[in-house]
Parts: sequence; structure tokens; C-alpha cells
Amino acid sequence: MKKAFASIFALLLLVSAVLTGCGSKENAEDGAAKNIKQEITLNAMSEPPSLDPAIASDTTSGWVIDHLFEGLYTKNQKGEPVLGAASDVKVSEDGKTYTFTIRDDAKWSDGDPVTAQDFEYAWKRVLDPKTGSPFAFYMYYIKGAEEYNKGKGSADQVGVKALDDKTLQVELKSPLGYFDKLLTMWTFYPVKKSLVESNPKWAAEAKGYVSNGAYRLTEWKHNSEVVIEKNQHYWNKDTINMEKVTWKMVNDATTYYQMYKTGELDLIATLPTDAIEQEKNNKEYKVVPYFGTYMFMFNVDKEPFNNAKIRRAFAMAIDRKAIVENITKSGEKPAYAFVPYGANTPDGDFREVGGAYFEENVKEAKKLLQEGMKEEGWSKLPEVTLIYNTAENHKKIAEAVQEMLKRNLGVKIKLANQEWKTYLETTDQSNFQLARMGWVGIFVDPTVILDFYLGDSPNNRTNWVNKQFDDLMAQAKVEQDDKKRYELLHEAEKVLMTDMPFIPVYFYSQNYLTSPKFKGIVYPVNRYPDVRWAKKIAE
Amino acid sequence: MYIVKRLLTMIVTIWLIATLTFIIMKSIPGDPFASDANVLPEEVLQNIRAKYNLDKPLPVQYVLYMKNLLTFDLGPSIQSETRDVNTLIADGFPVSAVLGLQSLVIALLFGILLGIIAALNHNRLLDRLAMFLAIIGISVPSFILAPLLIKYFAVEWKLLPVASWGTWAHSILPSIALATTPMAVIARFMRSSMLEVMQQNYIKTAEAKGLSPATIVIKHGIRNAILPVITFIGPLFAVLITGTFVIEKIFAIPGLGKYFVDSIFNRDYPVILGTTVFFSTILVITLFLVDISYRLIDPRIKLTSNKGD
Repeated sequence: MKKAFASIFALLLLVSAVLTGCGSKENAEDGAAKNIKQEITLNAMSEPPSLDPAIASDTTSGWVIDHLFEGLYTKNQKGEPVLGAASDVKVSEDGKTYTFTIRDDAKWSDGDPVTAQDFEYAWKRVLDPKTGSPFAFYMYYIKGAEEYNKGKGSADQVGVKALDDKTLQVELKSPLGYFDKLLTMWTFYPVKKSLVESNPKWAAEAKGYVSNGAYRLTEWKHNSEVVIEKNQHYWNKDTINMEKVTWKMVNDATTYYQMYKTGELDLIATLPTDAIEQEKNNKEYKVVPYFGTYMFMFNVDKEPFNNAKIRRAFAMAIDRKAIVENITKSGEKPAYAFVPYGANTPDGDFREVGGAYFEENVKEAKKLLQEGMKEEGWSKLPEVTLIYNTAENHKKIAEAVQEMLKRNLGVKIKLANQEWKTYLETTDQSNFQLARMGWVGIFVDPTVILDFYLGDSPNNRTNWVNKQFDDLMAQAKVEQDDKKRYELLHEAEKVLMTDMPFIPVYFYSQNYLTSPKFKGIVYPVNRYPDVRWAKKIAE
Repeated sequence: MYIVKRLLTMIVTIWLIATLTFIIMKSIPGDPFASDANVLPEEVLQNIRAKYNLDKPLPVQYVLYMKNLLTFDLGPSIQSETRDVNTLIADGFPVSAVLGLQSLVIALLFGILLGIIAALNHNRLLDRLAMFLAIIGISVPSFILAPLLIKYFAVEWKLLPVASWGTWAHSILPSIALATTPMAVIARFMRSSMLEVMQQNYIKTAEAKGLSPATIVIKHGIRNAILPVITFIGPLFAVLITGTFVIEKIFAIPGLGKYFVDSIFNRDYPVILGTTVFFSTILVITLFLVDISYRLIDPRIKLTSNKGD
């Protein structure tokens, strides 16, 4: 009896082995011939603070939102603004009135049509003071927008109106040369009016979340992962390859680096610095310039930096190449001006056209320092403290700068660091002489960078106010001729760099490791990678 | 009677902790709404501050907060527009709890075992080996052990996932990393306690009675020796809770520790207060349960002091 049982069992095992063998062989052939699952796993590094286009103010939230929604304009694979949810736009002679025609086939992810009323509602919601949108000021170019947002006007007086279901009219205070670029910002995305009106917490969970872009939100496990899948109602869905995108939320650099190595992540950014050396020659390693500038702000109201020559001397005494090659190591470019590379203009890249506004020269620097001190009547330079917000890299760079100033200028500076929020308060209150800061352009135009140093900009903590600079910037904003606009911006930058209320150090760079199984990922200069047109070519 | 007195003490303790946290939190510089990227006009800022009662004078804020606390309403989070503190805790705590409890079990089980083995093999090879392991466990911090575990078990040998949460396999490495130091400490406690107990007269009596070695060790040895370890469970809980902050960050685990640390950097006052009160309550309750368990394990222990003893 036992023997019979055993032999039947053995036979069954044999048969099942053969069957599964046949089965998997078929599957293997299928896999090669049929489609590879178009799925990609990215790393968001932290929980996106908000997936509501009106509230989001950080690039992590923007990364997800940009895949879920589409504005009147959208970015194509080259990063250029092209019409998206709008099929047509007409601009008035004076450049102040825009009339958009919303696409007939523009649909929400639940199948309902996207209407002009959705846009009007979304923009007014951003401007509503009760919403508390941190990016409402980007809409201040629109008539009545600033007044409404500051509680001094009404929603009816805001220059955005739905003339009918498919026609949206926008009235600006003055013509705006880069309005199309501005409209690719997530703050200008539409939201479904009927949904948001009935549920103020519509953007809190994946259930009930509706968007109009290439993808829809299918899963949101807070603090753990976000999953989006192709939106079958998207009018341009045939151009979208990637079917499913998953974002994990791993903050620790060593951990996400390991997860890339085991294949748990397909793409990572900001490698841990010790890994950069090893991965430099890896084909999967990639460096992309990032549209931002690392700098040290002067407080021009505090000695010794009230003197322009002394400021210039400090800037000229720093060896930027040493910093980017030995500390940051990610292909950053030394900065001798403010606007980074990556802004295309009719004459070429803005930075390449503008060139450098000063050069490193120790002898000249020493001379300028002496002249400056003589002008102020100082025999000894007042003590200088450089502050930075607590972070490993900032510390290393600050220490390097301290050493360079000692060696090249004979000036001994002190260093101090503070935790971020405390640091913001300290610099806000002008409680510093020299302070580290970074500035990234939320969209790729020199205006967004140069705006930092406007006299009334809340980001400008240097106390440097220059009427000529402000006037040039204001003129550039309303200039309709592209070529002339960039000329004005170059002139503005020249004024800024002549006074130099800050030390430009380097232009940012972003490093990535991308799995070779993917092709067609787009790396914008001021955002995380765009995977809409990506294709998975191997398992 | 003891229980009633104890409960009152617990409530006062939690109240004190909440008050102190409130004071310290409001004294440090830094504004939850300050940022280098966005520009909120004063009018809009006022609206937002009002939503969190931040426009009211501090004493009023304090009273309002305490009032809400009585109904277990921990308020809205400043960082997360749509999720309030109760939701954050409800989401994050179960995860941290699983991690913490698993680590507790590992630490207790292996710690006690290691300590007993060491004690019973006093000064022989097994003892030295066990104590060597203990020294390593105490000296190597979890944030060094964790990446090492990841490198070998996940990357090189591909036995377990690197990080994040989902399946039981995800919880293995984090629990081990978290449990190692507590386990080492427990091992040493257990060892010295066992050594002392095994010298006692009643052990000799048991041997003389002819009881088997197993019965002696288990029924008489461990039961007496384990008291110091039980004492340690209270502080152990505190260690595990704070240890989860580091482990959760390294292993990208969506637990409460991460929210807590982030909220401090973001000056998210409601979350800071809410999680502090929550953790304190758990700690206070645990200590209470530990004290009760003393009585159960050793009936000689009186929980209250009798005058004239």
C-alpha cells in the first residue's frame, strides 16, 4: 500500500514538473514576443506635503502633480511650453487679453469634460485668501488678482472669466512676455469644480481624487508610497507609454542607493557623496544641470559689507573649482553671475550670452580689500561671521571658504550654523553679515532668478535695493518683443553684478542613477524627471 | 486604593509633560510658515494663523489646547493640510507598534536566553562568547548596525528587502537592528541576576530535594532572577520608542517616529504636542503595568509602603 502510494506521488510530481516546465517555456517565449509591463518605480524621498495644485509649493509634490494634471500649456519633451488642455489661444493687440479655447476632448479622469469654468474656479480658488495658497503671487499679473488675494477686492473683479463652457478669457495688468511658460506651473492647473466644491478634502486620499492629465491617482499609502496609472480619458493618451508609476518614500541616501542596487528602485537622484566616486564611470550615472544658484548673501547694511569693493574682494578670493571638484563632485559649474545655464533665448543660452561678470584673482582681491578699507577708514577689518544652515555639505563648503579667505586675503572669518527654521528667522531679521542661500527657478526663465533681488522681494534678505535694477526688471516683464526682453534682463543682471550684494559660488547640478531598462526619460533643469514618454525595454 | 492613587499620578504626569512641551516648543525661534520659496502676504498669513489659534495670546492657546486634549482632539497638522494629528497617529502608530513589539520580543527572548546560558556556564567558553556578543550589541549603535545588515542581508545575499514596509519580511531587519542593544543589556542584567540567585540557599535546598536541573533553573532560578529585567522594561520601552525614529528613517518605515522628528523641524506645533502626549501616555501606562507585574511575579513585594515596617 505504502509503495503504491509513493509511486503514484512520484508520478504526480513528475507530471507537474513537466507541465510547469512546458508552461514556463511558453511564458518565456511570450515575454520576449509580447509586451513588457510598462511600470517604473521612483523615489520621492519624502511624503509629498500636498497633492492639491493650489496648495503645493515644493518640487516633490510638483513631481507627482505634473504627471496627474495638465494646464492650458504643458511642457513637451524638450521642456518647451506647448498648448495642452487648450487647443487655441488668441492674444489681443495690446498683449493684455488672452482668449483660450479649451479642447473638445479634454476630460477629467472620471470621464467628465474639462470646462472653462473649472479653470476659472481653480484660479480664483488659488487667489481666495481663505485658501492660503503659498504660490498665489504667481497670479498677480492678472487684473484684480493681488487685490483679491490680499482681501481688498472681490473674486468678480479678478480678470479670469469663463465666457462659455470652452472659452476662457484672461485679462492681465500689462503684457507679459513669458505668460506661456508661467501657465505650465502647477498653480495654474484646473481642478474639477463640482468635486472640490462638494468635498474640501478631495486631495487628501486617492479615493475620489480626479485629475485631467496623463495619469490618475490610484493609491496613496501615506508616508509609504504613491501609485498613479495611465488615464484612459486623457486626450493625448496615445503618446503616453508608461502605464504605471510608483513613488516610494525613502529619505536616507544610503538606503535608497542600496535599493537602486537591488532593483527595488529604478531611478534615484542625489546620490550619497561617497557613492559618487564609485558610480562616476557607470553608464547608468547621469549629471544634469539644475536651474539654481548656490550663493552667500551679504548684509549690505552691516559692516564691513556696506562697502562694494570689500564685497567684490571676498568674491574674487574664492576658488570655486576646488569646491565643485572636491566637495560637491556632481558636475556643478562655478558661478560668476546669477542666472544659471539652461535658459534658452533667441541668441542662445542666457548665461553663455551674458558670460562672467568677474573673475577669481587673488592679487586684485587683496588690492580691492585695501582700497575698500581705506575708503571706510578702517585699519583693521571688522570681524566677520559666515552662517549657514546645518547640513553636511554646507559645513564642508563653509570650512573651505574660511580657509580660502585666510590664505588668499589674509582674513580670518568665523563660522556658525543654525537649524533651518531658526536660520530663516535669523536671516529674515537681518541678523547676519554673510549667509548661505540657494535659489532655484520654479520655471525656466531668467526673470524668476533675478526676481530674488528685487527691492521688495521677501526673499531678498541682503537689504540691497537698487531702483535701476527694479526698473529694468519691471520693463522686462511687460516687454513683448522677446529679443528686447532678454536684453533688458542682461542689463539688469549687469547692474546686480556691479554692486554684487552676494557671492555666487556655483550653479546647481543634479546627479541620477537610472536603470538601463528604461529609455525616453526626460530630465528637466528645474524639476524631477518626467516619465510620461518613458519606455521599459527590458525586464 | 493603590490603583486609584496611581492613576491620578499618571494623569498629573501627562499633564506636566504636555505643559512643559508647550512652553519649550513656543520658546524656540522659528516660524512654521517661514520658507525660502513661498511668499504669503500678511493678510493670508493671518487667516492661516487663525486656523491654528496661533493669533491668540499664548495663555489662551494653552487653555484651548488643554480643553481639546480632554476630548482627545489633538488638532489639525500645520504641515499636512488635509490630515489631522489624530489621523497621523492612527496611521503611524500601528506601524511603529509592530516594529517596537517585535523588537521587544526579540530583545527579551534572546537577551534572557543569552543571560541564562552565560550564567549557567559561568567563566567557561559559552559565557565569554555570550558576553562578547553583548559588548558588541551595546557598543555598536543601531544606525551603524542597520546599514551593515542591509548591505549583507539585502544587497549581497539578497535574502531580504532593503527597506520600506509591506510584508513581514520587511520588518525583520529593522526589528533586529532595533533589538540588538536592548538585547545586550538584558543579557548582562539576566546573567548577573542569575549568578546571584543561583548562589542562594534555596537553590541548594532545591538541589538537595532532588529536583531536576531544569525545574530548578526555570521554577526557582529564572523566576527570581527576572525581576531586574522586568524593572528594565519601563526604560526599555522608552529606548525602543526613541530608537524607532532612527530605524524608521533608515528603513523608510511609515511610522510615528518619522512624523515626530519631522514635526519638530517644521515647527508643526499640534503634531509635536500630540505625539509627545501620546508617547508619554504609552510610557506612563507601561510603567504602571510593569509595577503591577512585579506583584504578580513576586508576592512578597508590597506595592505600597506600610508604616512601621
